[in-house]
Amino acid sequence: MAISLDDCRVLIVDDNEFNRKSLSLLLTRSGIRNIAFATDGVDGLAKVETFRPDLVLLDVAMPRMDGLEMCRQLRSDPRNAELPILFQTALDRDEEQVACFNAGGNDFISKPIRPGECIARVRHQLERRKLFRDLTAFRERVQKELLHAHAMQISLLPESRSIAKLGEIYGLDITSHFETSSELGGDLWSIFEVDADRIGFLIVDFAGHGITAAINTFRLHTLFERSSVSRKDPAEWLTYLNVALKEVLPTGQFATAFYCVLDKQTNLLTYAGAGAPNPILCVDGELTLLDSSGLLLGISHHAKYRTQHVLLPPGGFLLLYSDALLECRGVDGAPFGQEAVLAQVRKMVAADRRPADPVSVLLEPFLEQVSRPLRDDLTLIWIGRR
Amino acid sequence: MEFHARNLADAIEVRLTGRLEFTDHDRLRDIVALLDGPNLRRFVVDVSGLDFIDSAGLGMILILQEEAEQKNIKLVVRGPRNDVKRSIDLAKIGEIVTIEY
Repeated sequence: MAISLDDCRVLIVDDNEFNRKSLSLLLTRSGIRNIAFATDGVDGLAKVETFRPDLVLLDVAMPRMDGLEMCRQLRSDPRNAELPILFQTALDRDEEQVACFNAGGNDFISKPIRPGECIARVRHQLERRKLFRDLTAFRERVQKELLHAHAMQISLLPESRSIAKLGEIYGLDITSHFETSSELGGDLWSIFEVDADRIGFLIVDFAGHGITAAINTFRLHTLFERSSVSRKDPAEWLTYLNVALKEVLPTGQFATAFYCVLDKQTNLLTYAGAGAPNPILCVDGELTLLDSSGLLLGISHHAKYRTQHVLLPPGGFLLLYSDALLECRGVDGAPFGQEAVLAQVRKMVAADRRPADPVSVLLEPFLEQVSRPLRDDLTLIWIGRR
Repeated sequence: MEFHARNLADAIEVRLTGRLEFTDHDRLRDIVALLDGPNLRRFVVDVSGLDFIDSAGLGMILILQEEAEQKNIKLVVRGPRNDVKRSIDLAKIGEIVTIEY
């Protein structure tokens, strides 16, 4: 790859005027026009500040401050950590050359200067720098975009103010945790106001994580807005989402889901699953795992879902979570699994049936042990009846 | 995940071991390529040696099913146990793929 050296800036640091002139002549002939000079290390450090070179051609033996010391001082400043520094040296003993590298030099050219070699090494360093800068710029741009996208993804979730308001209307304490394994994730949860007595909760986990899975959460969210399908009947709502997702998802992409509707008058919880982890129901301190089996969303047009019922009276709660909770690995490397999750819920219920922030209490022992970032996206929703 | 393929009369049996997860997507291509074998009628994926499968792993089984179906090859997933069986049952993969327990 040959790049143009037109706009590259090179600083020549050498106490010998003849050397400075001949190097400068060589560089000019290869197309480099922005050249500055310094006569020793002290002068060189000052010129780096004002001239901001893309490369430094550095003599070793100089009065006041030699090239090795100047190089060390440059490297101690993070701004110059990646600045290409080429030593020019008449010293050809192994340890002398090693000293150039140890001081932080990228390469060296031997004196007397051989024009072809000199330009080839200069060009090589400048090309590396350009590639490095392009990559850094690319990385910074992507990071910024991912940050924006992350904020957009968070905005798909119920806001804390609206959660609190719905809690008042339906007599519920709702707390949640949402954490993606990278900037973007494939989890989504949502609340639907069905009617004055009934409220629906949906938790969805798209296969995989990262950008592809995140795009699918946006696809799904659009379906919520657009559809007039009733959210009263869980099987019907999942059937609708399944067919709509099947239309847009390629093979191998799909989601697990669980949807339930709670009626505050009759205490009836109706629900249907599409392969999400089994939610944990607590009634009178007794824990039950709800059946959430069902064909994954987005795989088959013909998937059938089944609505089931259970009672969730005041004082009870329901815990929804994504499979990352089961698959989080502890210090021993083994996944926590269903038993550990149940045991932790049981322990919490025994200590205090209604802590202020149950999700944090539940997660604490897990998050203490897992390493961040998580291997998969983690979502928990705790729905407690007052 | 590691896999070992074995040729039978009109079938190929692929035995998976370890964990089938997100990071195995590249390996899947090698398994899909086995479907191009001559005179293939059945393709058996033996998962009895598999300790764990995540949702991406389930996705790979579904991709294999679609590829096999297009080539008129019968795909059978054999012998899931423990966590793998639980995941396959929870997601009702049996409605789409033939599972031999």
